[in-house]
Amino acid sequence: MHELSVAFEVCRMAEERLGHDARRLRLVGLVVGDDAGVEPANLAFCLDALLGQPPFGAASVLVNRSPGDALRVEYYEVDDDNPDD
Amino acid sequence: MTIRTIEVREPVMARNNELAREVRRRLAEHDITAFNLVSSPGSGKTTLLERTLSTLGSELGIAVITGDVQTRNDAERLEHHTTRLVQAVVTGGACHLDARQVLDGLDAIDLAATHLLFIENVGNLVCPASWDLGETAKIVVFSVTEGEDKPLKYPKMFREARYAVLNKIDLLPYVPFDLDRAIDNARQVNPGLGFFMTSALTGRGLGDWCDFLRRETHRLVAVG
Repeated sequence: MHELSVAFEVCRMAEERLGHDARRLRLVGLVVGDDAGVEPANLAFCLDALLGQPPFGAASVLVNRSPGDALRVEYYEVDDDNPDD
Repeated sequence: MTIRTIEVREPVMARNNELAREVRRRLAEHDITAFNLVSSPGSGKTTLLERTLSTLGSELGIAVITGDVQTRNDAERLEHHTTRLVQAVVTGGACHLDARQVLDGLDAIDLAATHLLFIENVGNLVCPASWDLGETAKIVVFSVTEGEDKPLKYPKMFREARYAVLNKIDLLPYVPFDLDRAIDNARQVNPGLGFFMTSALTGRGLGDWCDFLRRETHRLVAVG
C-alpha cells in the first residue's frame, strides 16, 4: 500500500512537470535508497501499472538502488518523435 | 525515435514536505506543540489518548486528528473524553496519514484554543515513518506484547521518533518480554530516544507522561 502511495506521487510529479507531454513519457528514472522504507520491486510493479494508463502512454520505470534513504525522481525520458503527437 | 532526457532530481516527498512545512508554520503561528503517535495496530495509542484527555483535558486545549484505514472508531472513543477538537481521517486504504490530510484537519480545528495537538497515525510501523506531517516530534508507542525486537525489525520508525512509549507494562509479569533488551535494541538504532513506561489501562507511568506533555506545551492556559 505504501508503495502505491509513492507511485501515485511519482505520477503526479510527472503530470505536473510534463503536462501535455505526459503521453510522450517513455521512462522514469528513480533512485531508491536501501533505507528509504520502500520495496523497489513493489514500487516498480505499481508504477508499471499506473504509467501504462492515461495520461501516460507506454512509460516504464527504472529503479536504481543507492545507500541511505534517498527516494527521488532522477530523470524522465520523453519521446519527441511520437507520431501520435 | 528521438529520446530526450529531462533531469529532475526531485525527492518524491517534496510536495508532502512542502505541505508539512505549511502545517509547521500554522502550528508555530498558534504556538501549538504537535505529536505524531505512531505504532503497530493494537499498541494502545487510543487508550493512551483517552487517559491523556481525561487527565489534561481541563488543563490544556488538546486537539486530536485520528487516522484509520476504515471506521471512525478511534475518534468516537476519544469524543467521549472531550467535547471538541477531534477530527477523524478515514484513509480509505492508505496505510499512513500525509501532510495534506493534516493540513485539511487543521482547517476544522480551533487553533487559537489549542495548545497541544495529537496526530494518531494509522497503526503501521513501516509507512508512517517516511511521511513528515509537520509535527514537533514523532512518538512511537510499542507494547510489551509485541516483542522486544520491534526496534530492530522496524529501525526507520525508531530512528525517526524522538520518544518511545513502552505501553502495557501491567502485562510484564505475564509475557516473555525483556524490558532492558527492548530499551537496548531501541537505543541501538536511536541512542537519543527518550522513554516512557506506561500502562494506559491501569494508569501506571502516566504521571511522567503527563508532566512531559505539560513541559512540552508552550502555553499552560486553562481552557475556558
